[in-house]
Amino acid sequence: MNTHNDDDRNNLRYAEYVLGVLDADTRAAVAREVIENVEAATAVARWQRHLIPLTDTLPDAAPPAHVWSRITQSLKWSEARQPAPRRSLLESLRLWRWIGVGASVLAAACVVVLIRTMAVPTPQIVANTVMVSSIRQTNGVVGWTATMDLSRKEMIVVAASPTAYTKDRSTQLWLIPHGGKPISVGVFKPNDTNVMSLSPSLLSQLGPTAILAVSLEPPGGSPTGQPTGPVVAQGQIGAAPDV
Amino acid sequence: MSVTRTVDQEELDRLLQRVGDHDREAFAELYRRSSPRLYGVCLRMLTDPREAEEVLQEAYVSIWQRGATFEPGRAGAMTWMVSLVRNKAIDRLRQHANVQLDHDFAIDSIADDEPTPVATVESHQSYRRLEECLQELDVHQRRSIREAFFSGNTYHELAHRAQVPLGTMKSWIRRGLLQLRTCLET
Repeated sequence: MNTHNDDDRNNLRYAEYVLGVLDADTRAAVAREVIENVEAATAVARWQRHLIPLTDTLPDAAPPAHVWSRITQSLKWSEARQPAPRRSLLESLRLWRWIGVGASVLAAACVVVLIRTMAVPTPQIVANTVMVSSIRQTNGVVGWTATMDLSRKEMIVVAASPTAYTKDRSTQLWLIPHGGKPISVGVFKPNDTNVMSLSPSLLSQLGPTAILAVSLEPPGGSPTGQPTGPVVAQGQIGAAPDV
Repeated sequence: MSVTRTVDQEELDRLLQRVGDHDREAFAELYRRSSPRLYGVCLRMLTDPREAEEVLQEAYVSIWQRGATFEPGRAGAMTWMVSLVRNKAIDRLRQHANVQLDHDFAIDSIADDEPTPVATVESHQSYRRLEECLQELDVHQRRSIREAFFSGNTYHELAHRAQVPLGTMKSWIRRGLLQLRTCLET
């Protein structure tokens, strides 16, 4: 072996760590050092900048679609926010025109579409199981539109022209079956596009005889499981045209 | 070419910083943009697609959890993420350390390691610089460093596969690394 001075020796350890030639124990020791010692972290980062460009020569490979869903499962993201694909439904201009929402809403929805479809770009066949509702506020203006996709068990709630509500109230969406008690769909962001999952009990009650309603609740939603605040909007549920 | 790369890199930096703030949409976008590259790295190092998927999955979970520790001044987002995924892959390799060392890499008979045409056309500044510096190394040093980087093997495994004494392999790689540093940092 050559003789190196201490500085070189130390630096080499970091280079060897980045290169990947150290055994498990030595790797673990350097990894700890990187966390505890700024100089070690800087040296390792420098070697990463030097050597990682080697991966530029590798061919890209698209991972299988299920990797993304496994990642979100591991992170325990609530199902309501999982970027599951729904290309055809949200991208259907015809559906949105039929619902009659404005261009800005459409633009907002398109952003969601982009985000939601990019990870798993496989187009889905759309079964004719889409229902829609225009949720009208007490002032007569449509506050939100809800699109329910029975095959994907989800509802997309898009802001149309919602009234400004005080920040200390949560808007909560309810499904009210004909002659039945309200069932919570969930708390949603009134000025945003929300993707909410539909439980089996909700799915079984969805239909043209049920209505959707929005109530104002304490932050985080009704503590009782039933609406406690004023109902500020409601809408009939209808079938959507073929999309 | 290099201009768009830079814009892409800055965009990735911003996305990763937003991931540090636990922005889910940024994370999905970051995944869309970076996963083919990271999966390519996993496949190269682990060979078995199922294991490559698992490591990729672990890596993105860590990217989400550790995004806040990303410092753009130190290294770009892609460098940070590729390093993270390589660390996961190497850890995985160490777990089954006594795997078959069946494929020797025959240090003297290996086909010359010219960069692939894709790399020549598309790669950016830092890769070209590295490649120039690698070309200044002795052929054994260069090949050992490349092989080490892509295989994730230990010195011992590399020496075994190249059928040279351990000391020889260490010497090739260490001298090569020091020379690389001199070339890259001057």
